[in-house]
Amino acid sequence: MSTNGCNDEAMATNRSGAQRPNGAPQTKVCQFKLVLLGESAVGKSSLVLRFVKGQFHEYQESTIGAAFLTQTLCLDDTTVKFEIWDTAGQERYHSLAPMYYRGAQAAIVVYDITNQDTFGRAKNWVKELQRQASPSIVIALAGNKSDMAAKRMVEFDEAQAYADENGLLFMETSAKTAMNVNDIFLAIANKLPKSESGGGSAAGGARRLADGDQPRTSTCCK
Amino acid sequence: MDEEEDYKFASCTYFARNHPGETCGSNGLPLTPSSVTILGRAQRLLTIEHRNLCTYLDIIRGKHERIIVVAEVIGKSLAEHKSKFSIQEVISIGVQIANALCYLHQQGITHRALSDDNILIDSCGRVKLYNYGMYYMTDGGKEVPFPLGLPRYLSPETILNGAGPSADIWSFGIILLELCIGKLWSTLKPGPILRRILTLVHANNPAERIAREHDCYDSYKALPENIRDVIEKCLTIYPSERSTFSEILGVLKKINNQKPIDLKIPRGLLGCKLQYLYHWWQLAGGDIISELKRNGLIKNSPPILSMPVAILLDGCTIGGKKNALFDRRIAKYSLQILKNRLAHISPHDFYPLMHEKRKECDTVSLPKIIRERDTEYQFYRLLWFQRLLHGYPYTSQYIRAQAEVDIPPLVRGDVWAALLGVFGDIEDQYERIDKETPTPTDRQIDVDIPRCHQYCWLLCGRAGHRTLKRLLKAWLLTNPQYVYWQGLDSLTAPFLYLNFCNEARAFACLSAFVPKFLHKFFLKDNSAVIKEYLAKFWQITTFHEPELAAHLHDINFVPELFAIPWFLTMFSHVFPLHKIVHLWDALLVEGPQLPLFMGLGILRQLRDTLLDSGFNECILLFSDLPEIDIGECVKASIEMSRNTPRSISYRRFTNEPEIKDPMDVVEVPMEVLLAEICPRISLTDFFSLTCQEKCCVVDIRSNLLYEKSCIEGSINVPYSGVHLGQHELRALGLHPSKVLTNVIAQKKTVIVASAEDETAQLFSEYLVKCKVPRVCILHGGVSALQSHVPSLFTVPPKRNGHK
Repeated sequence: MSTNGCNDEAMATNRSGAQRPNGAPQTKVCQFKLVLLGESAVGKSSLVLRFVKGQFHEYQESTIGAAFLTQTLCLDDTTVKFEIWDTAGQERYHSLAPMYYRGAQAAIVVYDITNQDTFGRAKNWVKELQRQASPSIVIALAGNKSDMAAKRMVEFDEAQAYADENGLLFMETSAKTAMNVNDIFLAIANKLPKSESGGGSAAGGARRLADGDQPRTSTCCK
Repeated sequence: MDEEEDYKFASCTYFARNHPGETCGSNGLPLTPSSVTILGRAQRLLTIEHRNLCTYLDIIRGKHERIIVVAEVIGKSLAEHKSKFSIQEVISIGVQIANALCYLHQQGITHRALSDDNILIDSCGRVKLYNYGMYYMTDGGKEVPFPLGLPRYLSPETILNGAGPSADIWSFGIILLELCIGKLWSTLKPGPILRRILTLVHANNPAERIAREHDCYDSYKALPENIRDVIEKCLTIYPSERSTFSEILGVLKKINNQKPIDLKIPRGLLGCKLQYLYHWWQLAGGDIISELKRNGLIKNSPPILSMPVAILLDGCTIGGKKNALFDRRIAKYSLQILKNRLAHISPHDFYPLMHEKRKECDTVSLPKIIRERDTEYQFYRLLWFQRLLHGYPYTSQYIRAQAEVDIPPLVRGDVWAALLGVFGDIEDQYERIDKETPTPTDRQIDVDIPRCHQYCWLLCGRAGHRTLKRLLKAWLLTNPQYVYWQGLDSLTAPFLYLNFCNEARAFACLSAFVPKFLHKFFLKDNSAVIKEYLAKFWQITTFHEPELAAHLHDINFVPELFAIPWFLTMFSHVFPLHKIVHLWDALLVEGPQLPLFMGLGILRQLRDTLLDSGFNECILLFSDLPEIDIGECVKASIEMSRNTPRSISYRRFTNEPEIKDPMDVVEVPMEVLLAEICPRISLTDFFSLTCQEKCCVVDIRSNLLYEKSCIEGSINVPYSGVHLGQHELRALGLHPSKVLTNVIAQKKTVIVASAEDETAQLFSEYLVKCKVPRVCILHGGVSALQSHVPSLFTVPPKRNGHK
């Protein structure tokens, strides 16, 4: 079942890859749903914006409900396409969160290194994901705002120890300086099981890739 | 005199202080530029009106931290006045200055820079202080790199850096003394002047000592005793021993034998409010900055000349542009262009009467944005609204009727408040609310405010942040049933933006807005409210845009994914302020059902893209919403809203009285609402559509029941014979498909009447898939109608040639 799914993927890739001028036709495309969670104003939207558009806004507006963006990463032999759900941080929007992390293959739980409370909240998110999300989910912990290390309230070692204990990827990031932003997504991409992704995708990623890619390619050609 | 009248306002300009380097505040955000802080503080000055103060008209933020201050001017300054004043004139001038300063001190504003060049006097002897708010707007001079005030008017403690309001008394004393014995220290440079003032500290009677220094002791002594007395009470070394303005005013008024200057308000253009004149003048092409440039107050130097000589690693600069002193010159503006522009307007038009029939302008048909820039149109509108607002709350209905056409931007705050029914002693009510005590919500508010509409110079400054926080705290405290949901900040922002100096009114507007448009949205558990709202939105989308709705249903693109911020914040989180104001202009007039149609208006503008897109493309589109033509959206939404029977947009969670009449009821349990993609129509609405021949009933009961008794004019499509898989009207048979095709062409409403809810749901869904617009379900079905309006029923005629 899973191999079949991957074959489908590969075929889909070959088809669209041939139309792209710089696409390497032999690479396979894997699609993953990734969700960002964490207390409000820790920089979730900023991380996504930096990763997807390479931009940083000092006054990034608060996210209500959720925002959705996609970005593609190229590994050696695979193209990884992230469907990123950036969620609202305020505790009250918590009830909406399962809608977004349901079926996600990866999650980045973000906290602000200058604020201890946000680290506590991050731990709660990790717990919730371990309990509720799909068991194979890859979780990364991101200590954001590392450019403000002078005001640090969460020690690197403390977070690293916590991450090790829970089997999380961990990096300190800075959306402002772009430090470790691409790296954390890359690390997730590397850790995700590529062979299974097509069939294992609970969100039906493979199906969406098929109907999703078509219109975009056609607009390119117009 | 003529020359004087031509100039109504003037501007001056200066640079705000530059923050050294690119340092960040404690919250990690860049420090607010000084010019933004000044802009925020100066807003209050714009609201101050006093007959001895020049009204502030505008504060503009230019390039490179430049601030331009526009304010009223009259006559010329005391510095320009060469002739000597008589004692009576001096007293009259003194009374007026004291009057102004007394008022400022009551308002908690210290002048601190009173000097002979910012006291203006016209040919009738009327005195006004010009640009009296420099010290206030610059936060006590902290936000500017130059010292405030002219040296010879500074009190000793000001020079020693400890000035309070009583510094103004000293300056006032010096002004009086100068008016009596001539300019002081006119040959000295600033340094020696400051030294002279400081040596006065040892004098028993500084006034006498100054007079002696100027060889005027005799003429000083020759002054009437009561004047000397006033001067000496002002020129007291210790600030605490100085008189206050109310005391001085009392004394001066006693010895002033001149009648108060009673200026007749001129008729016509010059009799209009100064703020209006300034606004129209700008619309007519008046340009503040070009005049400043022409007068050399703004100089363009090549950028290389203002580059620093060196930049340290921490961002601090050395050399480069020197911090200049405050340029005390002003540029005066002539109203000539405005006069020319409005020359053809008859004097009669300046005084519109309520009962008069208003002549329609052609301009009304133009887009709002253009109307807002049309001098003549704004001239008529503003005068008319001024009239109407003057009579508020008795003119409410007229205001509403006019607001439906458009709202002049200059009075938008007033009009919104009127539309929301705000009146009474709102200041007092607001004053009573505790806006300071910390609460657990503060953290969330604190992190949200610096992200809320920060492109707006008013909202991004310290004053804006502080006021927004107070408003939110006050609202939460007075609405204990509600909690702070992110988005409430965005919702409050437009009210703050329009009532920046009238916090109480911003609060009153917010307090009136929420129950009307967002009833129960901010409950701790608001899921039912939001669910209902979104379900209704979805049904209305289906009603007006069946093809789009069917497509979005197909790809499972539900409004929960994108529309929550739309409705929770009434679009204030989605659009910039200049667009929100136009949306809300319409919202406030049309009422609480309009937002649903506005959401649809947005979808409609994206229609073609959405129809072509799959799930991911759709959601991407909404994460980064493309440019929406708000004017078009508003127009379309109003039209749709008015063309939609009220019961179609019925929601349970509103603040409106509960519907009791069974003819009007359309309420269904939440599960049913969520399951139905087409809205229900009430019997009343159905009846009125029938009377206007604007609907067509599709009766889906069995042929047998239909033949027995049916709704007059209805067609029968027995549900059992419909192939739900075939999404084509032709599949329904020749007659029904012909009738429905006609109905669609005539934009009539299609009403599905059935005996059971379930078949009605499925059949209406089928019609939607066939792209039939305006499909709804008759609430209660055929049987309800039969029991309430039996007269609508008949026995169908036998048709020939049909199966």
